[in-house]
Amino acid sequence: MDDTEANIARAPLPTDKTLRARKNLLIQFERFVVINTKMLKIIRKEHR
Amino acid sequence: MARVVILGGGIAGHTAALHLTRMLTRSDEVVVVTPNSKWNWIPSNIWVGVGKMKTDQVTFKLGPIYKRKGIEFHQALATGIHPEGGPGRPRPYVEVTYTDPARAGAHGELDYDYLVNATGPKLNFGATPGLGPAGHSYSVCTAAHAGDASAALHESIKRMQHGERQVIVVGMGHGTCTCEGAAFEYAFNVEHEMRQAGVRDLADIVYLTNEYELGDFGVGGLTFTQQGFQTTSKLWTESLFRERGIRAITGAHVTGVEEGVVHYEQLDGSSNSLFFDFAMLLPPFRGVDLHAYDADGTDITDELFAPNGFMKVDADYSAKPFEEWLAKDWPSTYQVPRYPNIFAVGIAFAPPHQISRPRKSSSGTVIAPSPPRTGMPSGIMGRLAATNIAEMIRHGDSAKIRTASMADMGAACVASAGSGLRQGSAASMTMYPVVPDLVKYPNTGRSLKDTFGEIGLSGHWIKLLLHYMFIYKAKARPGWHLIPE
Repeated sequence: MDDTEANIARAPLPTDKTLRARKNLLIQFERFVVINTKMLKIIRKEHR
Repeated sequence: MARVVILGGGIAGHTAALHLTRMLTRSDEVVVVTPNSKWNWIPSNIWVGVGKMKTDQVTFKLGPIYKRKGIEFHQALATGIHPEGGPGRPRPYVEVTYTDPARAGAHGELDYDYLVNATGPKLNFGATPGLGPAGHSYSVCTAAHAGDASAALHESIKRMQHGERQVIVVGMGHGTCTCEGAAFEYAFNVEHEMRQAGVRDLADIVYLTNEYELGDFGVGGLTFTQQGFQTTSKLWTESLFRERGIRAITGAHVTGVEEGVVHYEQLDGSSNSLFFDFAMLLPPFRGVDLHAYDADGTDITDELFAPNGFMKVDADYSAKPFEEWLAKDWPSTYQVPRYPNIFAVGIAFAPPHQISRPRKSSSGTVIAPSPPRTGMPSGIMGRLAATNIAEMIRHGDSAKIRTASMADMGAACVASAGSGLRQGSAASMTMYPVVPDLVKYPNTGRSLKDTFGEIGLSGHWIKLLLHYMFIYKAKARPGWHLIPE
């Protein structure tokens, strides 16, 4: 029995504050820098 | 002087070719054989598929780039490998059939000293009756397919603008498909487009997948830390499906597609049907139809290739249960054991086993995502093959062979969930390693420090940046080699 639909219905919903933060230009610029740094760390492992 | 022939001009093959031009001397020859005249940045095809980009924004002609870089280019389909040459012909060679209009159908034979098989996948629409552009569903596997999908999707949007309800099905067209991430991206981009068009309330969007649970992505899912807790990509993905109102059906093997209806079997053995107005279902992959022959012309295809058509390399292919699978089963140099001058990289190499736990339905149908080996891992393997070939040419038997196993390789992925510089969003993810190593990381198989996921507008900016950066790199513009794979 596929219980995926029930799992989706029980999954946590983001709050309005989280949704706003996901679109906020200042916050997202900071996340852009942070995420790129994390990705560069992974990339650097391959180019040692 | 050495001659390197590369079969395939996709991410792995093109990367290998460009690196070889800077690693080898002018007297060495780099040859690319690919049936397509254009290079395609496939990750952006999903934007073509919703009409946000044109096909010529994700493709460019390979001929002028290869001419500038001194690469011999054959627009042709490789059909046979002769690693020991043939009667009265000691040098190894490949057989090709030309696809460029000037020589279409002509036969050719190209000698090589080193061979890179980067042929990518054969889009195996034939595995599911009625699947694909020649059948009753669309695809975003090529830029042309994505363009067709966009036109049909916009027809559906037009109908909704006239008040008609539409059922949109996006997902995997077979139980052994890979690239679940691409279908996930397309489902969310379609949802985004419908909201932008003001018709979201008239669309019933269903994600139909062979994954056992959401968030698997063919890599067995991810575990990462968030605000002091360990969380899973399953919970994270289910949350996104709830937020965006997309339905999902998991553990499904599509058995057939007819006009407006998709039939599928699920892990519990049940057979179901789903009616649709628009369906984008990805095909399963298999290796291209390459054959291999030894010196006296005996067919050795079964020795060099797995039954799925992918090339066997330095992996442990012995059959064993899931619980006994180890990270070290995965290949690290991508060389063919019997012929160390042949490399198979990107999708072309045969994985020793799945990354996600394979499952069978109660009637015995295999429903198991195949391991993804596209994008960043493909580029890394292409560069690795180039580096090792250059080393072997320079130092012969004393060459220091480098390794890059997917069990010791990370990946950065950005899954778009809608485009737009202010309204876009994407899930940014990193994982290390791609193939879980439960010996090194006993809890989750991956480093919790280097595995993470986050959704937001910044992810869209990163995906857009990667689009422009990798097309710049693939065009071999100044400083291209400084951009990592």
